[in-house]
Amino acid sequence: MTEQLPFDGLKVADFSWVGVGPITAKYLADHGATVVRVETEGRPDILRIAGPFKDGVPGPNRSHFYGDFNASKYGLTLDLKNQAGLDVACRLIEWADVYIESFTAGTMSALGIGYERARELNPDILMVSTCLMGQTGSARSFAGYGFHAGAIAGYYEITGWPDLPPDGPWTAYTDTVSPRFIAALVMAALDHRRRTGRGQHIDAAQMEMGLQFLAPQIIDYNASGRLVSRNGNRSDTAAPHGAYPCAGDDQWCAIAVDTEQQWDGLRRAMGDPAWAGDDRFQAVAGRLAHHGKIDEHLKQWTSDKTAQEVMQLLQAHGVPSGVVQRSSDLLQDPQLAHRNLYHYLDHPEMGNIPYTGHQFRIQGYDSGPRSPAPLLGQHNEFVLKELLGMTDEDMIEAVIAGAIA
Amino acid sequence: MLSPYTVLDLTDHRGELTAMMLGDMGADVIKVEPPDGSPSRRLAPFLEDAPKPEQSLNFFSYNRNKRGITLDLHAEPGRRTLLTLVGKADFFIESAEPGEMASLGLGFDELRKRNPRLVYVAITAYGQDGPYSGFAANDLTLAAMGGPMSLQGHPNRPPVRITVPQVWLQTSAEAAVGAMTAHALMVRTGEAQFVDVSAQTAMVWTMLHGMAAHAIQGFDINRGGSDLQLGATKVPVVFECADGYVVMINVGSTMVKFVHWLVEDGIVPEEWIEGEDWPTYERRFLQDMPVTYPLEETVEATRRYVRNYTKRELLERGLREDITIAPVSTTEDLTRFRQLEERGFWLQAPLPDGREMPAPGLFARLTETPMGVRCWAPSLGQHNGEILGGILGLSSGEIAEATGSERA
Repeated sequence: MTEQLPFDGLKVADFSWVGVGPITAKYLADHGATVVRVETEGRPDILRIAGPFKDGVPGPNRSHFYGDFNASKYGLTLDLKNQAGLDVACRLIEWADVYIESFTAGTMSALGIGYERARELNPDILMVSTCLMGQTGSARSFAGYGFHAGAIAGYYEITGWPDLPPDGPWTAYTDTVSPRFIAALVMAALDHRRRTGRGQHIDAAQMEMGLQFLAPQIIDYNASGRLVSRNGNRSDTAAPHGAYPCAGDDQWCAIAVDTEQQWDGLRRAMGDPAWAGDDRFQAVAGRLAHHGKIDEHLKQWTSDKTAQEVMQLLQAHGVPSGVVQRSSDLLQDPQLAHRNLYHYLDHPEMGNIPYTGHQFRIQGYDSGPRSPAPLLGQHNEFVLKELLGMTDEDMIEAVIAGAIA
Repeated sequence: MLSPYTVLDLTDHRGELTAMMLGDMGADVIKVEPPDGSPSRRLAPFLEDAPKPEQSLNFFSYNRNKRGITLDLHAEPGRRTLLTLVGKADFFIESAEPGEMASLGLGFDELRKRNPRLVYVAITAYGQDGPYSGFAANDLTLAAMGGPMSLQGHPNRPPVRITVPQVWLQTSAEAAVGAMTAHALMVRTGEAQFVDVSAQTAMVWTMLHGMAAHAIQGFDINRGGSDLQLGATKVPVVFECADGYVVMINVGSTMVKFVHWLVEDGIVPEEWIEGEDWPTYERRFLQDMPVTYPLEETVEATRRYVRNYTKRELLERGLREDITIAPVSTTEDLTRFRQLEERGFWLQAPLPDGREMPAPGLFARLTETPMGVRCWAPSLGQHNGEILGGILGLSSGEIAEATGSERA
């Protein structure tokens, strides 16, 4: 039986760039859709010029920041400021079921391919516009990255140490949140379209999606005036709770004891040392009050063992624990290997490299990525002829008129 | 959008957002709690600091657009009732340990016999099987094992998590994508689907360009405080201002206009305006090509400028003149950010203590099928009569048996 994929036959015009839009379209691509990623050669996706580069050598086709978000897609370069380029963009919108863009609010309308025009071209198109602050409001033109939205949403304030300036979450945090919401929305809106024949326009503000993960704290502030702030790895309700140094260079194991049972497990795993028998440590209130003291002892116990040893010892006694893993650890992690997270694919310039796959598995098929990320303009001819059905003459005419750039 | 569909939500804090997202998108969600309530009812913050099941703002926040029933799944009447509901459902979402539902006779293989078109979503820390699937885990240990912690925190201190737990929210939002993907496949094949969601892999994806970095560039990225790290490049982005901090990425297009502010305040000489081709600075800088003013100088100038102004002054002038400066907001700052009010983002939520307070609203605007809040989080067993009696037609005695209440 041939493998059926959830989005076989779905056509996606991906006019987005950087993180949120491309990651959203990648879900559809990996799960079977035909996705055309549109770029402009003169001003390619900023991620193409941001590292990590293969072997540290910069080049537009050597960035895996771009690569990992654009696997399984076809690459097309268009000059949207040229009429012939715009004409091709219109044909692509006519062809597509889904049209995704992530520019500053108003950009696509100014180019002549906003939602109104898209609907004229393709009455049941499903269009997604996503930017930091949304398509309306006085800050709609606030153009930036997930760092900025993450800071305004409150994530910098709550990441780091209370006595130091904020460290912030790793990189552009709202880029890690938003694609999940938008992908779910697109799939739901497509189901609605299948049933009713009606497309629509989705306005997804990355800031507003980011705030979903802080809802209890925001309501709490409104109700009680309490402000949440960064507190290292401490928890208000569990102790010990932190990252503990292990043997080797900058190696750590996270340990987080939620229950009395886990505390007993930790004591057993350590061989029941005298310090841990202190009555004050038996209940969580006491452990929270003496967290610093417990940390000192625990550090001594962990520091001559590898992080793996600490984790395995503690897991054998049911204690939540985990190695603080870096990219090199993840690439060799047996659990991730078991789930086939990284797919090694041959990229024309970067060679055989890992593409990061999916966070859910659906029984019965492999969710991709299915092909490496496109080189800049790699599929121009394929897209124009095979997908858009242009004749050789049409295509040559468009190229001469400056459509492709 | 999803109004024809019914969702059974058996999760706790590890999956309640998944079902809420489907509910926000229009599905009819039935939250099935054990007789003593979802464990998330015991999670802080609590209204009036009272740790009671109806006072948890965690439960309140992630259970809107759901009706709530209780079922005792450790007894036959409760299980039987659940199986009847499964026959009427389209999605079944659970966050139990691997194998736990099957041990109750409620695993995928059982449920698909009841409903051959069911989409079954299972949310766990590491997945249903594999060497770590039995590991004890929570927010902190998964932030470690999934990778983002290795990239967060000051280089002279231990790596850190985000203080407000994020792992299960990231995972829950991902599970909604899994649910909809599997639904699309079910529509195609007519067959029941099983979705195995792993929190560890959801955390891997929060590393973005850090996920596969070692295989690409030959070395790991290490935590570097708030510096933006791209390959071997490090760019400071957090600057201290008069009353806190702001985030600026001042190698990019920001400098095109910001350089005029610097000149205006006498921070840098006027020749800075013409002395550099600012629009292309970013591209040259990132690719190790020559620039007139090295990063250290633009960063130092920014530091000296920013410290004279407040977060609000910088944000407001930036908004007027199209310069991207983001305040490091506290929750208080956030609630005063006009944009959210202008977009009608905040919803007036009726809190369980009777007050109304602004709460974060829906996650997007749609022209054809706008999302809305039909109901707020249910009290424990609020809809037992309506659903078990009204829809399933159980008698009050049968309801008592199924829900494990004392009248049984």
